[in-house]
This record gives sequence, C-alpha cells and structure tokens, in this order.
Amino acid sequence: MKTIIRYTFLLVGLIGFLTAQAQFNPDKVCRIENGRIIFSVNLKWTEKEQKELSSLFDLDSTLIAQVYHGKSEMKMADETWKVKKVGDNLVELSKPISSKADKTLKTNDVFLMIDKWMNFTGNFTEESVVFGVNNLDRPYVFIYNGIKAQFYLPAFIAAKNVCLSGTFNSWSATHTPMKRVSDGWMADINLKPGKYTYKYIVDGKWTPDPNNKLRERDGEGGYNSVIYCFNHQFELKGYVNARKVVVTGNFTNWNPKGIMMNKTAEGWSLPVYLRDGTYAYKFLVDGQWRTDPANKTVRKDGNGNLNSFIGIGEPYVFKFSSVAGEKQVILAGSFNNWDQSELVMNKTDKGWQLPYVLSPGNYEYKFIVDGLWKTDPVNPFMTENNGIHNSFIALKANHLFELSKYPDARKVIVTGSFNGWDINGYRMIWQDGKWIFPLYLRPGKYTYKFIIDGTWILDPQNKLYEQNEYETNNSVLWIEP
Amino acid sequence: MKTGAIKYSILLFLLIVVAPATLLPNLSTSPIPIPISYSFISLQTITYTPEFNLSSDSVVIPLKRAGRLFLIEAKVEDQTGNLVFDTGANGLVLNATYFRDHAKTGGSNTIGITGAVGVVEQISISRIELPEITYKNVRADVTNLGHIENRRGIKILGLIGFSMMKNLEIVIDAKHNQLILIRIDKAGRRTNSAGGEFKADYMQRIENNTNILFLKGKIAGRNLNFCFDTGAETNAISSDSNKSVLNTLTITRRSVLKGAGSTGSEVLFGRMNDFAMGEKQIREMETIITNLDALSDAFGTKIDGMLGYNFLEQGIVCINFVKKQFGIRFIKGEEK
Repeated sequence: MKTIIRYTFLLVGLIGFLTAQAQFNPDKVCRIENGRIIFSVNLKWTEKEQKELSSLFDLDSTLIAQVYHGKSEMKMADETWKVKKVGDNLVELSKPISSKADKTLKTNDVFLMIDKWMNFTGNFTEESVVFGVNNLDRPYVFIYNGIKAQFYLPAFIAAKNVCLSGTFNSWSATHTPMKRVSDGWMADINLKPGKYTYKYIVDGKWTPDPNNKLRERDGEGGYNSVIYCFNHQFELKGYVNARKVVVTGNFTNWNPKGIMMNKTAEGWSLPVYLRDGTYAYKFLVDGQWRTDPANKTVRKDGNGNLNSFIGIGEPYVFKFSSVAGEKQVILAGSFNNWDQSELVMNKTDKGWQLPYVLSPGNYEYKFIVDGLWKTDPVNPFMTENNGIHNSFIALKANHLFELSKYPDARKVIVTGSFNGWDINGYRMIWQDGKWIFPLYLRPGKYTYKFIIDGTWILDPQNKLYEQNEYETNNSVLWIEP
Repeated sequence: MKTGAIKYSILLFLLIVVAPATLLPNLSTSPIPIPISYSFISLQTITYTPEFNLSSDSVVIPLKRAGRLFLIEAKVEDQTGNLVFDTGANGLVLNATYFRDHAKTGGSNTIGITGAVGVVEQISISRIELPEITYKNVRADVTNLGHIENRRGIKILGLIGFSMMKNLEIVIDAKHNQLILIRIDKAGRRTNSAGGEFKADYMQRIENNTNILFLKGKIAGRNLNFCFDTGAETNAISSDSNKSVLNTLTITRRSVLKGAGSTGSEVLFGRMNDFAMGEKQIREMETIITNLDALSDAFGTKIDGMLGYNFLEQGIVCINFVKKQFGIRFIKGEEK
C-alpha cells in the first residue's frame, strides 16, 4: 500500500513537473552562454504564450513562427539565429550577443525602456483629482480657512529640526521649516484648494503624518500623507434624528455608499474639495434619496430623476451674438464630448448666452446655430485639424506665448510638449505689435518652439533652451506650482 | 570623457560599442596614468572642502527621490533646484539650460552616449549651497541634462559626486533617504568621536585615488571590478564577462532599440543571482547586461559592472576616502 501511495505521489509529481515545463515562465526562458543569448522554447506553447515570448524579449513574430515550423537557421536583419533540438518538444533558439553601436539611437528611448522594465511610472500622485475628503485622527492637526493651511505635528518634542515637505513646495526638504510649539511642531502655509501629498522631515528623517489616515504609496516602499484643502461644504439642515446621511454624485460615480456626513447642531455637513467644474449630487438620508433643499438648481437626468447641481469655480459665459433671428443655439465642445443637444444656450437681450463652469484648461468649442456648426465669430483663437477649425479658449490661462518679431509672417504656430508637437495646433494671432497665444499649463516642464511660415525657431525672448534629439534646440519653460 | 558623459554611458552604456581609441585624443596620447577623465584631466583629483553653516560636526542632507535618482536640493549661484547625487560623476556637472551663459574657463572633448564626440565646457561657480553647507569657487562642467528633467519632470541643475565631499566621511542611507557628511581630521578620524565609528558588517580598502569609487565584488566566485554609482538607476554587468559569470544571470527582458535606419542595439535586463561582497551573498539584484567597454575606456580601467540603486537598497554605506575605507552595514531581512 505504502508503495502504491509513493508511486502515486511520484507520478503526480512527474506530471506536475512536465506540465510546469510546458508552461511559459519568463524567468526560465532566456540565458547567456559562451557569448550567445539562448532562448529555451517549448514547441507546445500556445499562441498566447508565443506572443508573450515575442513581446517580453522583443523577438520578431516571424522568427518565432519559423522556429515552430522546424527551421534550423534563420537570418533576421544581419543576425543569424540557430535552432537546436534539445528534447522532445524543446528547442534552443540562439544567436551571438549583439555588441554593435547604433549612433542614431535616441538616448531617451533607452531611458524610457529602462523605466518600463523597472515599472517606473513617473507620477505617483494624481493632483488633478476631482474630489476628496480628509481623514484625520484628530481634526485639529490640520486647519484650513480657504487661504491658510496650518499643519500641526503634536510629536517629536526632542527633535532639533522639523520641516514640512510636499507637493506644495515641490518636495523641498528645506523651504518650509516648522516652528517649535509646546508639544510639537507647527507650520502655516498659504494653499489654494486642492489635493496635496506631504511628509514631515524630522531631523532629516522623512516621516508620514502620524495623525493622518489618508495615505498613498510614495513609490519607494513607503507612504505619503494626503490632505485636501476644501473649497465646498455640503450642508443639509434638519434630519437631526437621522442615523446616517451621505452625499453622493457624479464626482463619486453615484456610488450609493456615498461619503459620510458629520452631524452638527443644525443638521449634517461635510467639507470637501471639488475641482472646478459642474457637478450633480444628492443626499441619502437613512437610505432615502433627497435633493438639496437649499439649492435651487435642480435638473432632470435621463431617467427623469431630479438631481441638485453645483458649479465650483467661476462660470465662464459663452456668448453668441444674434444676427439673423436664430431659433436655437447649442454650445458643444471638447468639455462635453461635442454633445450636440446638451448645452442649449439662453436667449437674452444681448444675444445667446450660457454660463458654464469648467476647470482650468484648454478647450475647443463651436456653436450649433440652427443645425449649422460655427466657430465663435468674436474669438480670434482657433485650432486647425485636417482643415477643420474650432474656436479655442484657455480657461485660467497661466502662460502667454509671445513673439514680438516677424510682423509680416503669414502663419505663426506655437507647438511643444504640451500638445504633442502638433504642427497645426495652436496658431498665434498678431495683436498689439506681437504674436500671442494663451495656454493653461499644469505645473511642470515644457519644451516648445515657434514655426514661422514653416521655419522652426527658438523663442528669442527665452534664454532657457536645451538640445533635442535632432541636435537642434528647444525652448524650455517651467510652470511653477 | 567627463562625468556627465560618464554617467550617461552608465545608463547609456546600453548602447554598446565603444568609440575607437582614435576618437579619444586625450586618452590615447596622455602620459597621465589612469584613471583618467577624457574631458578635463586636471580636474580628476580636485576635491573641495565645504564650509559648514552650523557648528556641528556633521550634517544630515535629506535626499529627495525622483524615481531611482537621489536628489540634493541646492542653490547654485542664483539658481535654485536639484543636484542629482551621482557618484559616477567625476566632478560637478551643471545643466547647460541654466548655466550656458556663464563665462567659460575651458572646454574639451567628451564621448557622448552613442560614442559620438562632443564638447563639454567648463565654468567656474562662485557659490553652491547645500542644506547646511556651502562651497565656494568650484569648477564645473556644463552639458545638456535636459533628458533627465524630461523623464523625471523635475528641475535638475546638475550632478554632484564624491569630488565635493572627499574630505568628509560619507554615510549614504538610502532606506531613510539621507546623506550624512561627517567632519574628519587629516588622519580620517571623526573630529567628534562621541557618536563612535561607523559599524560595518563588511569593509573594503579603497585602492584607487580618484573621485570614482571602485569596489570588488564576486559573481560565481570570480573577483569583479564594480563602479559604485549612486546615479545608476539600475546595476549593470558587462556582457563581456566570463561565461561562468553570465551563466548565473537570469534574463527576463530583452529589447532591440532602433535608431534611424539601422539594425538596432540589443539591451538585456535581468537579475544577478550570485553576487557576493565579502561573506555576504546578495540575491536577486536587478541589472542591465550590456557592453561596458565605453565605460571602461572612460574610467581608464576595466569595469565589469556598476553598483547602483539596487545595491544601495541593501544597506547603509560609509565611505572614508582619507582612511581609504569603504564599509557597508547590511539591512537585516526584517528591516527591509
């Protein structure tokens, strides 16, 4: 009996071993031997596994196909690949390790490849988040009044030096020293509403905020603390006997769990950060849906349900002057996926108008006037794509590209890393003795150039420039947070 | 070849093949013994002693991270930004974007990333401030570092290596993102011995006399010569290494990068499974496998590999160029 069990185990083990051999394991495919790079290929691999082999090791799919067709030698480009049978369904595909130089190779491509291999994604924090609430152990460790944020660290009394470092000061280790207070450390910093990640630096040691439960990975095996500077307070008066009140809306994808509101003397409230924009929301009072009784802006959704609406930020008033007794004007743009019916403009004494709240950014739009698409006749800024023109607006533009030369040029374009170097994109206009184009740019580095009637030039008014991969130069622009 | 270029080769090295010696006039004709800097031979052993702002005998410089780069916040003349802590850099290298207008004090050939010869210019900087310490009158190379900025989205003023801190004891604690600089006397002893000496699990004598630190390590029982490079975002192993060395590597990725109209260059990525320093075996360190001839030529000594980010993660490193000692205290398993 024992022997039978033993043999059964052996058999199971053997089958397991054989199955494992057939499975594609990227760690066991490739090795180097005597200056040759060798791939152990199982001829039983599925098409999916062959594709994985091809993609992980940058092997040409026709090369793999030839291996599976039993070829023993293949020439690809100027390299000779050899196939050697080493088992029933096992072959070894090999070639000498390449040591050729390629002086035309783009350095950046190499770096990007290494980043990809190391799973390095670059940005660890999404600062343009739509919505957020804080989660503090003790509410007094962070106080925000709409302008000034106070960070309080009631700990590390024996420390010599504590600094606050985060996205608000470009993770500076020195710019925001904290003041010693009786039972810890404190720092005031002026912040706009938004999401920030931070750490304390206690005698040189980076430390997340011990009193802040909201954390996200810092990409280095640790955590950054996350804080929101709020710009809106959801409030629901009354319902003081309710057990649970939550708020939900399009900012939470209408998640019915919503966000828990805090009980106050008069009802319920919740301070939140909402990015500039237009939002629909509702309260859930002990499971019952309620629109906001204090908000008169209520609209029907596609199913006939009423939702409350708020605009965070200043609305931009889109205007279309009436000229020929139009019956209907609709606004459509990149901000609403060019929806042809949603944003019906209001007829006023001064023409057609629609106030609409948008987050800072660059937008294209058009008016649909009695069914005909028209650019904004009073906005000189336009984009061009395949001959189609759209009106362009940079809301809360924070950079104006200027070029005070070439008054006789016919076409002046500004292009750069902000629009993928689109050569048609942003056509500058001549105004007050210079070519201009306004843009909203998120904080960070940008490279750009002007194209004057087809000729690429650096920005003559910007002394910062760097060499590009074509061994010419690009102008460099930093947008500070 | 200069620091900046070297650094590049490090990461860039991938690109393989080496410029023939004729491209390296300084190297091929120079009577100066190796190691050597292609671009600025006279700079090779220049070191600077900083002025401490504080009366204390040591400073803790917080290291910021951008991916796997370690950054030191600095003010260089009137520019504020970051210096990459890059011990593969021979001297101070500044980014041309911000410093190209400074008066030149010299210029020389350098080997670019892909083996092409370029020119690096030298400038003189009157003042550099790091947290708590200041340097005055420092010579620097100027080159294009824009691609580091573009990949990491952070303003890079330049690269700073050992030349700026050789007269101090240097403790690199990557886990806690700290660079600790400790004042030492002419014999290399800490001027304030209250904290005791660095306790190392393993020590090695520094044999060369340059601003680049070479370390001995073993793979498959063979002694190999590694460049210690805090600016290397991954380790590297020469594809020319002995077959017993290469046999121990696991290859998990390969890529053929193509330039304009050519057949492309092969880059391999994988793991070192059998690396040892002293008695300590370090398993599974990520590494690039490529031809390091360009790097060897640049340093004037045969380089079998680079120890970069993945090595720094293994422990706390202490370097004392005066005592000629390198020490490492490995992070124990449970600390990681």
